[in-house]
Amino acid sequence: MAGKKKNGFISQSFARRLNSMLAVDSRRMFTAPLLYVLAGIALVMPILILVMTTMTAGSTVVDPNTGVETTREAFSSVWQDIASESGAGSSGGMDMSSMCNINLMYFMTGVFVCLFTAEDFRSGYAKNLFTVRARKGDYVVSKTVMGFLAGAIFLICFFLGTLLGGAFAGLPFALGAAGFFGVVMCMLAKIFLMAVFVAIFLLMSVFAKQRSWLSICLSLFGGMLLFMMVPMLTPLDSGIGNVGMCLIGGVLFAAALGVLSKMLLAKQDLV
Amino acid sequence: MNAIEIRNLSKSFGKKQAVNGLNMTVPEGAIYGFIGENGSGKSTTEKMICGLMHPNGGSIKLYGRDYTDPDVRARIGVLIEAPGCFSNLSVWNNMMIQADNLGIKNPETEIAKVLKTVRMEGAASNKFKNCSLGMKQRIGIAMALLGHPALLVLDEPINGLDADGMRIMREVLTDITKQGGTVLISSHILGELEKIATHYGIIRKGRMIAEMTAAELEADCPTYLSLRTKEQARAGQLLSGRLSRVEKDESGALRVYDPVKPEQVTSFLYQNGVLVSEIQTAKIGLEEYYIDLMKKEGR
Repeated sequence: MAGKKKNGFISQSFARRLNSMLAVDSRRMFTAPLLYVLAGIALVMPILILVMTTMTAGSTVVDPNTGVETTREAFSSVWQDIASESGAGSSGGMDMSSMCNINLMYFMTGVFVCLFTAEDFRSGYAKNLFTVRARKGDYVVSKTVMGFLAGAIFLICFFLGTLLGGAFAGLPFALGAAGFFGVVMCMLAKIFLMAVFVAIFLLMSVFAKQRSWLSICLSLFGGMLLFMMVPMLTPLDSGIGNVGMCLIGGVLFAAALGVLSKMLLAKQDLV
Repeated sequence: MNAIEIRNLSKSFGKKQAVNGLNMTVPEGAIYGFIGENGSGKSTTEKMICGLMHPNGGSIKLYGRDYTDPDVRARIGVLIEAPGCFSNLSVWNNMMIQADNLGIKNPETEIAKVLKTVRMEGAASNKFKNCSLGMKQRIGIAMALLGHPALLVLDEPINGLDADGMRIMREVLTDITKQGGTVLISSHILGELEKIATHYGIIRKGRMIAEMTAAELEADCPTYLSLRTKEQARAGQLLSGRLSRVEKDESGALRVYDPVKPEQVTSFLYQNGVLVSEIQTAKIGLEEYYIDLMKKEGR
């Protein structure tokens, strides 16, 4: 509750401060063309991937040096663009479906978080923001929530794009062993896992401040370390266990790295 | 109570000592003119007051509390270097973002009010990047005024303002102090500052070399007679022989600091065959005071 002190300076509760910070960031995020451009890319990318790989499927390429013939293979199911079933995706094979699937959205979110955060410092808005906002925790929580939300939007756009791309390419929609429940759980697990990545990207962003090139490089590097675990944690036949693990991991990572981000903001000069 | 009380403040960037044992007292309700050369440490001090930089030593108290106190910091309006606005957004959206940041309950009404105060109500829908330098400064001032700040920290806010903008600025700052607010303003345009400031602080190489009220400055700045004749050298010799303090200024005019009336000087010179073509009473201003002080400190 807010209480008025004798000299006229009013204490604000955490909820009220967070509310105002979220209002700032949501207004900024939803008025930023970057969000819509990236969401558009997330929607179009799977359509292009599925349609183009299906068009070139079956063609044979001959290596001019070795003379070895390679036949291009297409996706055999729409859902390969989302995830592989348990065991299949964790083989470590770097084929088309493991590289060009929905997991790319983690990196796209990294780019978004870095540019979104860097703009606070580049525009000079950080001066207005941090002058009146002495508690840096509000900023970190709000940015994490917004980054998570943006990541969820990109994942959903990619999912919708996959459905459209699959329809255009004429790929089978059969769910197999995973079932509809497995796909829903897989998407939820991927969304919750986004919190882990966002926390890493935010830490890199507050370290690099207005140097977005540095934060993007650091985020992609940091994200790459975890990227290999995504297929294992979020297979197509995910269950409640996968969702729970990603949710708990996301919350814990976001909290721990959030504390680090807050400490970093509190220790360094902001302009 | 003092709005700002700084004791022994220091800040360095590597080997460069930007602020070095600075002391500063800004009483509540004052318009404090913070003056100094480029690189003297004004902006660094202001950034530390706003919590944007961390001091290496010393203390900053705002209204008797540590400068990190969130409740006090929430009542600071700031315009440091340039307005912190997003260039792709409209003026209105930028103002809305700051209103959200401050948690203002009726943002539309208050934004309309502050934009009207700085005569920028017609530019609300303009993209910030399309505004001129002067317009951007006015928007920055409007943004700093949002939420009725108790303390306004303005770094070079007059830069880029036209005559009307400067007049508005004077009115706005005076109004704020009438309502109990305090203003810390740094500027190189000393003539403008002199019209509104109630207190002054002069900083050099990170140290406060003079701090005074406007009344104390007034008392320290003598009045003098400035005169021009067709024989300046001879007039100078004649006056120097009779009066104690006669100097030649940069424009070549003679200055008589002794308490004598203009007619006494003209009559004395006339009697000695020198005709006075121009004579006026003038007063040393802030700018001259500051330049003299800098010269003394530079020795």
